[in-house]
Amino acid sequence: MELKSIKDAFDRVANKQKLSYTKTQEIIQMLSQELDKALILLQEQFDHRPILASLKKTLQENSPLTQIEVREKELNMALTKYPKVLEKQQLNSDISKAYRHNVEFDTHVVNQIIANFFYRQGMFDVGDCFLAETGDESECSTRRSFVEMHQIVEAMEMRRELGPALNWATSNSEKLRQARSDLEMKLHSLRFLEIARDQTSQEAINYARKHMAGFADSSLYEIQKLICSLLWSRNLEHSPYSDLLAPSRWNDAVRELTRQYCNLLGESSESALSTTVAAGTQALPVLLKYMNVMVAASKKLDWQSVEQLPVAVELSEEFQFRSVFVCPVSKEQASDENPPMMMSCGHVLCKQTINKMSKNGARSSFKCPYCPTDVDISKCRQLHF
Amino acid sequence: MEIDPVTNGNTDAVMTEPTPAISPSRPLVPSSRLSQLTESIKLEHQLLRVPFEHYKKTIRANHRSLEREVSSVVSSVGDLADNDWSKDVAVSRLTSLVSRLQGLKRKLEEGSNVENLQAQRCRARIDHLDSADVENITEWNNTKLKRILVDYMLRMSYFETASKLSESSNILDLVDIDIFREAKKVIDALKRREVASALAWCADNKTRLKKSKSKLEFQLRLQEFIELVRADSYKQAILYARKHLTPWGATHMNELQHVLATLAFKSTTECAKYKALFELQQWDVLVHQFKQEFCKLYGMTMEPLLNIYLQAGLTALKTPYSFEEGCTKEDPLSQESFRKLALPLPYSKQEHSKLVCYISKELMDTENPPQVLPNGYVYSTKALKEMADRNKGEIKCPRTGFVCNHTDLIKAYIS
Repeated sequence: MELKSIKDAFDRVANKQKLSYTKTQEIIQMLSQELDKALILLQEQFDHRPILASLKKTLQENSPLTQIEVREKELNMALTKYPKVLEKQQLNSDISKAYRHNVEFDTHVVNQIIANFFYRQGMFDVGDCFLAETGDESECSTRRSFVEMHQIVEAMEMRRELGPALNWATSNSEKLRQARSDLEMKLHSLRFLEIARDQTSQEAINYARKHMAGFADSSLYEIQKLICSLLWSRNLEHSPYSDLLAPSRWNDAVRELTRQYCNLLGESSESALSTTVAAGTQALPVLLKYMNVMVAASKKLDWQSVEQLPVAVELSEEFQFRSVFVCPVSKEQASDENPPMMMSCGHVLCKQTINKMSKNGARSSFKCPYCPTDVDISKCRQLHF
Repeated sequence: MEIDPVTNGNTDAVMTEPTPAISPSRPLVPSSRLSQLTESIKLEHQLLRVPFEHYKKTIRANHRSLEREVSSVVSSVGDLADNDWSKDVAVSRLTSLVSRLQGLKRKLEEGSNVENLQAQRCRARIDHLDSADVENITEWNNTKLKRILVDYMLRMSYFETASKLSESSNILDLVDIDIFREAKKVIDALKRREVASALAWCADNKTRLKKSKSKLEFQLRLQEFIELVRADSYKQAILYARKHLTPWGATHMNELQHVLATLAFKSTTECAKYKALFELQQWDVLVHQFKQEFCKLYGMTMEPLLNIYLQAGLTALKTPYSFEEGCTKEDPLSQESFRKLALPLPYSKQEHSKLVCYISKELMDTENPPQVLPNGYVYSTKALKEMADRNKGEIKCPRTGFVCNHTDLIKAYIS
């Protein structure tokens, strides 16, 4: 797909438009001039008829309308070509082809999701305006929490203040530890560097002793770096540890804080809305291609009521949140009614396949399709991924 | 110092210190990301098409009015020369023509300015698509989400939020607020049961509507006719029909006859077929039809972009187990609101098994195969080894509390 050809096609349109404009300007100018000439002549001479007759003749010879038409036609051609160029570059002209129309999204739920997104991003006035316009009476429950989060983040980003962040981190220390987050350590390092810069090295060491000792098992290397950096206390920019001063450390800390805060709120680290839209962006091309193929082959598709998508959509790894087991024999996905079962040889099939292989219990053992072991049905164990 | 690489199939997620933090997967190898980006750009037809259609419309409208004016000036001159007017009349008429041309010149310039602004907007959109790069992809996607949200606001007529959002995110060039405002005027009028603006819109876009064989104008006229009948102004209704409905008779005779017969009924009739015609819901049908024609004209989808993307995304993320408890908070489908939306949607089809370890959230593949506890629960080899190392060989299932020894684990073979 080449954006250049789209740009070129549009440039052509713009050029033709300019040409048409200049030509029309010329024509109008010419008409004005001829009329002015005629008026002057009329003042001077007595007989007006030949002047008017010659004026008419001049206008006819110049045929202003035809000239304008010619340019306009060229412009029209360029205008008609442009959408064709878009199609040629494989821009999907209708992305709603794969949309299921019998599914109605509950507007209220969608509005809540959108409002939540706005609050999460810190766009409080937009979110409030939105809820006001929807006429939704219920307030978004997470608003207050996000306000708090943004206050902490703002303090860090705008004023380089670590106080609120440290308070929050220490009060949620246990949960952060459970989530195996290094947020506390990150914040303490930043504070340590601040103290080392503004106060004495001794104060910094005291701080480290008080707050960082508990992280020795997880962040020993970081602590070592920090303590060593005290050797260059006034000259950190020229030391081997100059990267400790990098502003990206603040950004990392802010990012980690946002993620952990959202996690503790029960939200995902990345906004759920943007994750879903990103997943949709990956899924749509596949679905649309499938629809086009079906339409081209004139196959009727009962699109509206299938339980499983008829085409596989491969999402990239970051969308793999839960395990999916596909039985290698039946190609069906495991579910509660059809769980994965492990046979004594270590291979796994889904329950329905195993039932079929053993003819619904008519035979007590069968051969595993992978290794030639005999499998006893009663010894098959249900797996939980 | 240990380097503990996270081998998840990711090439650049090597951490230089053994932090136990769970970080999200880093971007994949650029080439697949690039093709994903290209695919995502291919979905943006609407972004380019809508301002272009607007631009085309302006150009054609300007040209039409200009053509009319020029041809009228030329024919006035011809008329002056052909007929025998007095000199004074000729002078005064010529003078008025000259001033008319001056006005025309001004109008031409203004029209061209408007056209240029619209052309600029078209170009801004193309440039925006061009600016998408693997490097700034998060920001580009962020802007995309904001665009999609503005589109949703505009369709639901939340104009204030749309403006606020576009201004604060700096995407005014990438959204079509004015076009939707134009539509809203017509829709509001229709809701007030006035067809005038809708008919004006049809007249503005006559050629396009004719090309697509639209019968919107016909429907609007029929509705006006019915309203006249409802008000018992039969004579006016018949005159109206003679003037406006007969041109459509050639192509839509059946419908014409069907509606004309309302003359024979009162608006409170009980006859089902004709009662339906008098229903006020017919106006809602008209609104819907207008929206359809409008969207078709501008190359827009009927449904909000948000719904399209959400539907596709939810269905791609949904698995038969999606509604179980105990899933990671990262999954959008763990949230109540997303679950509600996903309920009537099909789940995605997968060709191959993809197993994710409950403990480490990593993929369980040949490098990190799944291991089975005696109670049937499965975790990744790495996570289990880590647990065993920390607890002297003891394994405790995090979901059931079941305790066993590292030696009790069995390897599972998943293809």
